[in-house]
Amino acid sequence: MGALIFVGAGAMSTGIAAEPGQVADYLNEIDDMWRGKSSKATVSMNVKTAHYSRSMKMRVWSKGKEKSLIRIDRPLKEKGTATLKSKDNIYTYLPKTDRTVRLSSGMMMGSWMGSHFTNDDLVKESRMLDDFTAHEIARRTVQGREVIDIQLTPKEDAAVVWGKIVTTFDTELRVPVKHVYYDEDGEVVRTMTFSGLKKVEGKLRPMKLRVVPADAPAEYTEFIYEKISFDEDIADSFFSLGRLKRR
Amino acid sequence: MNMWKIGVRSIGRNRRRTFVTTTAMAFGGAVMIFYAALLAGFKDTMERNALLMEMGELQVHAEGYRRDPDLYKRIAQPEQMVSKLEGLGLKAAPRLFGTGLAAAGASSAGVQIRGVSVAKERQVTGLHNHLMLGAWLDPSDPSGVVLGKKLARTLNVKLSEEVVVVSQAADGSMANELFRVRGILNAVGDRLDRGGFFITEGAFRALLVVPEGAHEIAAVRVDRNMNLANVTEAATGVALGLETKSWRQLNPVMAQMMDTSLVAQAFMLFITYLAVAMVVLNATLMSVFERIREFGVMKALGVSPFGIAQVVFFEVMAQGVIAMCGAVAAGWSISKYFEVYGIDLSSLSSGASLMGVAFDPIWYTRVTTEGVVLPALSLLLVVLLAAIYPGAKAAVIAPAEAMHHI
Repeated sequence: MGALIFVGAGAMSTGIAAEPGQVADYLNEIDDMWRGKSSKATVSMNVKTAHYSRSMKMRVWSKGKEKSLIRIDRPLKEKGTATLKSKDNIYTYLPKTDRTVRLSSGMMMGSWMGSHFTNDDLVKESRMLDDFTAHEIARRTVQGREVIDIQLTPKEDAAVVWGKIVTTFDTELRVPVKHVYYDEDGEVVRTMTFSGLKKVEGKLRPMKLRVVPADAPAEYTEFIYEKISFDEDIADSFFSLGRLKRR
Repeated sequence: MNMWKIGVRSIGRNRRRTFVTTTAMAFGGAVMIFYAALLAGFKDTMERNALLMEMGELQVHAEGYRRDPDLYKRIAQPEQMVSKLEGLGLKAAPRLFGTGLAAAGASSAGVQIRGVSVAKERQVTGLHNHLMLGAWLDPSDPSGVVLGKKLARTLNVKLSEEVVVVSQAADGSMANELFRVRGILNAVGDRLDRGGFFITEGAFRALLVVPEGAHEIAAVRVDRNMNLANVTEAATGVALGLETKSWRQLNPVMAQMMDTSLVAQAFMLFITYLAVAMVVLNATLMSVFERIREFGVMKALGVSPFGIAQVVFFEVMAQGVIAMCGAVAAGWSISKYFEVYGIDLSSLSSGASLMGVAFDPIWYTRVTTEGVVLPALSLLLVVLLAAIYPGAKAAVIAPAEAMHHI
């Protein structure tokens, strides 16, 4: 899921690069790290909106940048519901009706599982540098550590819904601090903050991310990694429609 | 002297010219009567498809729902509201709306899920009589769905086939349910044709976890002679804290178009009758010039200029009355014919739509009293106006001069 990229904006540093390619390096780190070759995670998601709060538990598998599978374990009402992302398509398996539905393009901006993530967030998992041009806009010191603000502007031919994204990256700990998403009119749409740093497989990574929509600051979606492991050996066939139904 | 007799007698002098002139007048009149019937029929379709299939004549929403529709902006106690509206001489039906994705086989489409209060809805809209295939909703069959025409085509489903719908319920959970196609609607309008996914109110509440409230109440007048603006005002009075709007406020473009159809009619009338007037003017002028000598003699015998003009007027009037009768007879019968059989436009287009309102490929006319009387009377008026110049020309003839003519 899209969240994976952002959570993955972690510390895969091999020392502080000081060359002009620095910004690109940071972004590549973000892209590369959570993708690895593959990953497997247990995640809980908490959603709070003006109308409901809900908690879910799910398992997430990913391989490369084009394949991921999410299977809901809780609540019981939705247990077994699975989302498969394969290239640009999203399929949802609905155990209640025993059907698999491919989401149409019109549904892409709709909410994923009642969260503040859109289905589009799941699909857009290409590399940041493919879709955006990046440049440094500021270097500041926050809580004694240096952070860099990087502005990402979509390339003309990129299918991106945002006007721009401003990423704040902690250059000492090599972890992302937050992403601020703007629409085409330059208004903030949502803010994603990263916290819960934990060393996993030798690298410091934020285990918790929180999305807050700008028009409803009291609402949020929290995405908490409870367990994660990388470079598992997962066959391509695991991410197939046929496997979607299986537990 | 009996001017009327002289006038009428002159009609027979040049029968061919009289025939051509009268026919031209009658033709113009008949066309205008037919045009009025076409417009009336068009307005009927518009009203039926837009108002009586979907909008109703006035609607009540929760404040802000129309600007930004959302599952949570509901009218709190729709049953109470409906009975209050019924107290005002309206028939009203609560409606529930949600969006979702419908899928059948490999096809899927975004839909507007519409929760229908079956018993109430049939008093307000004619959807239950507007099915292309199958049957309308029935509360005893909660898994039945009625689909818009284009939606059924997009999903490639036939009657009694399964459609799964996926949406987000009000509690944030993933709503999904299997429905069986019970009916497919005829064309209504773009929105409903492409996205209309009609289920019973009970099925809607269970699917989207909406135990109470309604998103819209649509109402129509029981007595069509009640003033819509007054009723809307009264409804606004009982629907406190809600937004009440008449269809004219909801779709001002259509309201304006309906209103300006009279202007369109007047404009066509003007153009057509201008041509008719030219014909009449020309023919009468010729007839006057042919009889200059006659008028000169009459004047010499003491007929007043007014008397001469009268002769010309009567001549034209007699033709005008005949033409008017012909116009009414022809225009009325053509219009009446197409009122019953309609004009089949299906070869030109299938399922055309205008401003999102569907039009049947068969265009039915409607004969109205004013649609016949107005063109007929204006024909007579125009013809008489056209006679002013020739009449005046004849009236001012100098007898001595005129009698030179052969």
